[in-house]
Amino acid sequence: MAFFSFKRVPLAWLNLTHDRKKFATSLGGVAFAVLLMFVFTGFMNALYDSQVQVLNRLNGEVIVINRLKNNMFVPRSFARRRLYQVRAFDGVADAYPLYISDGNWKNPETKKSFAVRTLAFNLGDPVLDMPEVNEQISALQLPNTALIDTRARAEIGPTDAGIVSELAERELKIVGTFELGTDFAAGNGNLIMSDINFLRYFANRGPEEVNRSFATADVGVVKLTADASPEKVVTALQQALPNDVLVLTKEGPNGFVNRERTYWQENTSIGFVFTLLTTMSFFVGIILVYQILYTDVADHWAEYATLKAMGYSNLYLLGVVLQESIFLSVLGFIPGCIISYLLYTGAANATGLFFQMTSERVVNLFLATFVMCLVSGAIAVRKVQATDPAEVFGG
Amino acid sequence: MRRRVSVAWLNLMHERTRLLVAIAGVAFAVLLIFMNLGFLGALTTTTINFYEQFNADIFLSSPETLEVSTTTVFPRERLYQAEGITGVRRAMPLYSGYVLWRNPEPPNESKAMFAWAYNLDDPVFLMPELQGPEAKQALQQPNVVFFDRLSRPEYGPSDIGTVTEADRRQVTIGGNYSLGGGFAADGTIIMSDQNFARYLSPRPLSTVDTGLIQLESGANPERVKRALEAALPADVEVFTKAGIMRRDQTFWISSTSIGFIFGLGVLVSFVVGIVIVYQILYTDIRDHLPEYATMKAMGYRNRYLFQIVLKEALLLAAMGYVPGFIISLGLYELTLNATAGGLPVAMNFRRMVFVLLLTIGMCSVSGLISVRKALSTDPAEVF
Repeated sequence: MAFFSFKRVPLAWLNLTHDRKKFATSLGGVAFAVLLMFVFTGFMNALYDSQVQVLNRLNGEVIVINRLKNNMFVPRSFARRRLYQVRAFDGVADAYPLYISDGNWKNPETKKSFAVRTLAFNLGDPVLDMPEVNEQISALQLPNTALIDTRARAEIGPTDAGIVSELAERELKIVGTFELGTDFAAGNGNLIMSDINFLRYFANRGPEEVNRSFATADVGVVKLTADASPEKVVTALQQALPNDVLVLTKEGPNGFVNRERTYWQENTSIGFVFTLLTTMSFFVGIILVYQILYTDVADHWAEYATLKAMGYSNLYLLGVVLQESIFLSVLGFIPGCIISYLLYTGAANATGLFFQMTSERVVNLFLATFVMCLVSGAIAVRKVQATDPAEVFGG
Repeated sequence: MRRRVSVAWLNLMHERTRLLVAIAGVAFAVLLIFMNLGFLGALTTTTINFYEQFNADIFLSSPETLEVSTTTVFPRERLYQAEGITGVRRAMPLYSGYVLWRNPEPPNESKAMFAWAYNLDDPVFLMPELQGPEAKQALQQPNVVFFDRLSRPEYGPSDIGTVTEADRRQVTIGGNYSLGGGFAADGTIIMSDQNFARYLSPRPLSTVDTGLIQLESGANPERVKRALEAALPADVEVFTKAGIMRRDQTFWISSTSIGFIFGLGVLVSFVVGIVIVYQILYTDIRDHLPEYATMKAMGYRNRYLFQIVLKEALLLAAMGYVPGFIISLGLYELTLNATAGGLPVAMNFRRMVFVLLLTIGMCSVSGLISVRKALSTDPAEVF
């Protein structure tokens, strides 16, 4: 007895599509459950992804930081001369200092100040792997200039080239833009400037603030030669350098990027909250799909009973209902996915967070949808299996 | 004849399984909305609940300060000026800042710790452990601080007598209290202003982070606030306690986008609820189309059928709200345990009413959409 034979009448497909309107409503239901799951996992991932945006763009395979810098929120820098020491090692092509500081940017329209993060480096060092920044490097040679992140939060005002306002109570002219996005450590937005300008703004801030100089750097970006192994270089560097710095690979499970991500995953309740909400959405989805399938089963009770009386086994009926649930999961997932994508774009614009629909996440959620529909189908089909044909047509 | 047939109730009750599924659907939508609002409420509460422990009715803060952990300082003279205003009993300076706290237990990780500091003669805090001469004596000692029990475990032990380092300077824990750090701080310590000058040097004590103003008994906070605003220059802003809590809350909700996030979560759950209830009612109407058509042919008006569907919707709302509410109480408990009190989710009456209204709205909207089909039925078509 063929289970999924296509020479036979495709009962599952015909059952689903027979009533166009009901079919549309059913698809809508599945799509909404998919949307719910995408929304909650989307927010969770956006909060995590946004934290590592800058880190991903560092142009180096190895990173040097102050050992006390647990995450990018902690404003600890290390002695820049460590990078001169690093350059002497085998496998190291170059080591670039990156300077980071927070300062208040005055919104040119509302005149209110907001904390923004400034990234600075020597213009001759290719510190950031961002073509749009590298194209505008020459503009940053002028005094008191910076590039601004267009994906900053709306509060800081317009983010166009040509704007003149104040950073840390000193005039600043914006000569270009780039796209990065906000995270918990960046405050309301990011600026990029040359190291010389960095000193102009952050070297003389009075006794309440940390006064910066070229003696310290915040992140050391180490570029290796083509044949060097990052892990080997990290081990060699960590052994040779004193304990005031931590040397890591940039990528990899113990790398700089993952370390930052893990910090936010483990030290906040973000994971718990959104995993709980996603799980609940999964159950909502099961209920929705169950409703659809159960209604179909109930409607066609007489027909199913007849089939059983004719000799079709329970397995056949199970197959029909499961086929229906598979069709629903596949066809409902597509509109759900598309609407979620639109929602992600809207949410990214509103929050400045980084919403990413990677193929891995899409596949994971599709599997969840698939399982959701199978579970509903399995529950719905128990009713059919318990049917006694004689009962249905009872006198 | 008074005894009508309660069609709405009987319609729903007739198919038990379908009713149960419907109730489960509504309950889950209600649950989702309760959870979203609960998380939002917990997060907003954590941002400001430490303000309850400040012994003041009016607060002074720099207008550039966005919230209490990233303050811009203002001159201490403003507090002296404030004391001259009628109704002000006392103006107290409060200093704050971050120090790097070293966990004395291996692996000796260091973490940024938020420090509050004040003049020990001022009754700034309401926590019981900080009252009385013993507390004052302990805090007067150089390099001694009180440690917040609610600090995250990564900071290490909170026991009295623990010796470790804060910002590369030795520190001893001289006492404990319970406060909580809100969004910006995973842990807090309290110290005297003299110790603050040591740990956060070269910060001078002549610049203050927050000013706390105590009023004379019987003074009207609003009136004193206006008097202060008139007397003080623009480098300080004057807040009532509620006002400054609102300032911090609004900042955190909007700058971390959690307001948007959970608001969207509520909206999407609401729409899902509409979809669930619509499916039920739509199926019900479709199944009973011959019956409804017959009733219309008999002379019942559209309004009667409309009422039946709406009543069904409201009954579903009521029957789904109760289990949804009960399960969310359980999940709130689960959250409290799972986050060890980090997320203080609590149910309150306003939220219960709000969600009930949302549920009724949700079901009514579905009812309205699904009933259009019934209203447009031409009896003759059906047969």
